[in-house]
Amino acid sequence: MVFKPESALILVGHGSTVNPDSSAPTLDHAEELIRRKVFGEVHCAFWKEEPSLRQVLHMLDKDDVYIVPNFISEGYFTRTVIPRELNLDGPLTSLNGRTLKYCDPVGNHDRMTELLSKRASEVSQGVPLKQSSLLIVGHGTNLNDNSAFAAKREVEKLRELDMFGEVFNVYMEEPPLVSEWADFTKFPNVIVVPFFIADGLHSYQDIPVLLGIEEDTGLAASQRDVFRKNPYRLRDRTLFYASAIGTEPSFVDVIIDQVAAFDSVAR
Amino acid sequence: MRSLPETIAGWVHDGFSLLGQIRITSRPGGSFELRHREDVAVHGLEEFHGPSAARDLSFFDEARNYRPLKTAPNLRRGWSLIVETPEDLRLALDHFYPAMTALWRSQLEASLSSVPLRDTLDRQTGMYAASKRLQDEEGLQLVASACNSKTGCMKRMLWPFTKTVELTGFSRLERSADVLTLDSGEKEIPLLCHEACNILVAACRETVKKRERAAAATV
Repeated sequence: MVFKPESALILVGHGSTVNPDSSAPTLDHAEELIRRKVFGEVHCAFWKEEPSLRQVLHMLDKDDVYIVPNFISEGYFTRTVIPRELNLDGPLTSLNGRTLKYCDPVGNHDRMTELLSKRASEVSQGVPLKQSSLLIVGHGTNLNDNSAFAAKREVEKLRELDMFGEVFNVYMEEPPLVSEWADFTKFPNVIVVPFFIADGLHSYQDIPVLLGIEEDTGLAASQRDVFRKNPYRLRDRTLFYASAIGTEPSFVDVIIDQVAAFDSVAR
Repeated sequence: MRSLPETIAGWVHDGFSLLGQIRITSRPGGSFELRHREDVAVHGLEEFHGPSAARDLSFFDEARNYRPLKTAPNLRRGWSLIVETPEDLRLALDHFYPAMTALWRSQLEASLSSVPLRDTLDRQTGMYAASKRLQDEEGLQLVASACNSKTGCMKRMLWPFTKTVELTGFSRLERSADVLTLDSGEKEIPLLCHEACNILVAACRETVKKRERAAAATV
């Protein structure tokens, strides 16, 4: 069990200047970690909100610091932006008397598969999973190519579980496209789980429109009720749309696990 | 060495009762009350408890519009927030004004280094790399408008435009970490900006893109 009263945790999220729900899971998980008193102190830091990555190190009282990216995959942000902005020079950095320990992003954790299947089961209201097509939505652009890779890895593992009739990757900006979901799924029930951290711009505003279950109102998650309207009946199917996987409360345990995993590797 | 929560509690005890648009009052028993500084004489405010309430109070303005920049001068009014401990006070203040008490502590310890805007832009990559092409004149105009304390951001900019070019259009106080003491004797913890935020970097990028789009259209 992880108990680090002499250490600080910095949970790094992307954040958004237009969507109030983007930082919500990061802030939620930090609040829960503070409540559990696992670490001596817990701070959030964001790329597009404040506290920023350039501010957060000033907030620390402790000298032993774990940094966990609340990101779905390794990629541009975890490899370029976060290390640059925090002056990290690898997994272990000594900076102004502090030891900064840079952990793997949450989305890399083995439990992602279990959390995706759990979320799909919960949202689908008891329909037979073997009579259901499960779609895992990824971003799918060059900048985020590792997120597409991570989403493919999860789909492979979900297929091995053999819980669902079929499992596919779909993407917003490259084939197989979210918007063509009805063309390649064969079961009467279709369950869609966004492989994203937050119910931000993509999972709340873009994907529902691409699926055909919402008009583009431009409103944020906290101002709409997409998830409460399940199931959707369209194109002769019953469609269930889940909130982003990163809103799952169990991510708190994954964050703690990533810290334990860092400690388990000799450096 | 005192922790940041203990340090903040000490400041409040020493008369530093103002932070941005918030007024902090020590209460008997060691708890604290926070409210909008313009609500100082208002009775019947809606009462909230605990630092988590600060998150919702700080996220949206009076009209429920999202506030991506917490140091914008548009904090909603009409509430009173009670927090029981210095640690909860720190958490609440970090929701209202993220990192601001920490930066003030660093300033007092002489460990806050400002970064010229040009240096911030020069290290950008990805979509923000375009901001490197910001011209001095358009950049100075943009900062004067975007960082205006009345309409944009209340933080005091400690950074210059470049190592040799200063910002224009700001008062000396708006560019300093000096403590402001009101006639009432109350002191204000300054909101400090030691480096341009992502919102300004994004605006620099957009200024460049707009100019380049206009130039391309005239070719």
